[in-house]
Amino acid sequence: MPDDIAEVYRNTYPALVRFLYRKVWDAERAEDLAQEAFARALVHRPENTRGWLFVVAANMARDEARKALREKRHLTLLKSEPDATEVAPEESIDASTQAQRVRVALEQLTPRDREALLLWDAGMSYDEIATQTGLARGAIGTTLARARRRLVEAYDGGQEGGQHVARG
Amino acid sequence: MSHVDEGTLHAYLDGELPSGERAALESHLAQCASCRAQLAEERALFERATALLGSTRPAERAVPPFEQLRRAPRRPWHLRTGFAWAASLVLAVGFGYYLSGALQPASQPEAQPEAQPVAMAQQNRPADKAAASEGLRRRQQNSGAIASATPPPDANPRGAAPLPLDTVVRIGDTARPHEEAGVTAAPAAGAASLLAAAPSAQRADTRSVENLVSTAWPAISRGKAAALLGDRPVGVPGLATRGIRSSPTGDGTVVVEQALDSKTVIQIFQRPARSAEVDELGARERADRVLARYVGRLRVEISGPVSTDSLNKLLELVEPLP
Repeated sequence: MPDDIAEVYRNTYPALVRFLYRKVWDAERAEDLAQEAFARALVHRPENTRGWLFVVAANMARDEARKALREKRHLTLLKSEPDATEVAPEESIDASTQAQRVRVALEQLTPRDREALLLWDAGMSYDEIATQTGLARGAIGTTLARARRRLVEAYDGGQEGGQHVARG
Repeated sequence: MSHVDEGTLHAYLDGELPSGERAALESHLAQCASCRAQLAEERALFERATALLGSTRPAERAVPPFEQLRRAPRRPWHLRTGFAWAASLVLAVGFGYYLSGALQPASQPEAQPEAQPVAMAQQNRPADKAAASEGLRRRQQNSGAIASATPPPDANPRGAAPLPLDTVVRIGDTARPHEEAGVTAAPAAGAASLLAAAPSAQRADTRSVENLVSTAWPAISRGKAAALLGDRPVGVPGLATRGIRSSPTGDGTVVVEQALDSKTVIQIFQRPARSAEVDELGARERADRVLARYVGRLRVEISGPVSTDSLNKLLELVEPLP
């Protein structure tokens, strides 16, 4: 019997948005995609709604990323000057550079490690992550340990390599 | 127990170690300083990674009401191809009951629901001439059923559709006033009550329901509709609006009739939403009985002589008319 989608929606929507945000890095887009995933679930009525949603969301985010890459290339061809950098308000610079560095670090993980980490952060159990990723349940702990270590190392490495990092 | 690997320690920190293993680990930790140090190290790593990830959360925003979900986010693609899609949908109508089985919800995450009717119509058309001509014949039958005032009992291809959602199917060809002549319309009980009829009963009543709406619901201007609704009437962008009518009961319900083609008209019932019915709609959607959604402050229901999936897609396209 299919899950009650309204119930899954209440429990899962914020986690799905967060999961998507770490893939498309645009809060509004993440919300749009999350809503689209739920709208599709209303049509498809999958048995395991939560798992299905994350698979669909991951696919949509992947398509989105490919599209963004194509558009970026296209823009680069059209525009002779480099992209204008957005000027962030003074107080939000710290937070946004921090997030930017985490994003760069996260993207240095292998896709499988990153997926496991994002699914864990979205509130999935080891069993659910195993189902989503195809990993053995017994391998999830090791995968997450490696993902966390690499995230921290990549982040710290980025810090040291950064040109204008003010510390302390 | 030998020394513990980092995967086990992370599973322990995540609260995901099975109870037997957890007990064994804890008794080992109690007597192994090296593993306790290792655990402290992994805990620090765990907390650091969690904090880093936490710094990339999107700004917390209110969860939109579940009832709004029927309005799937529209992409520019939809806007550009909305009309072409609606046109190809009409082609697909002829194959409607071939598809009614194939279009049942399938648990295929990769599936693109909006692409299905078109894709299948294209597959059927060139590949199998027999099926294609059969489809054409049925389409003509379908048209005949709409054009004829007294269709033969087996002429309605929707009769084969198994979905309870098809209770809302009605034929809305309102451009034929001569058909309305002999009908003595009882006062309409409101659009919502019409939607609750069972499919078997509904089929027999198809003509009278349509004529009920056609005759008893007075045509009104767009301005009058906007006044009744307190908002612009809504419809599917790109489709010709054949008429706008208001409910004779004065309950504020307005129906916008739009043509998919010269013979196929869909009806979009709409009225100002009442706050109390949000729960009611949720319950109905769970039961999968009614195709309805909110557009702005309007509650919108759709019906027409096309498949439920098509109506669902059309409903998603609905927006305030220009």
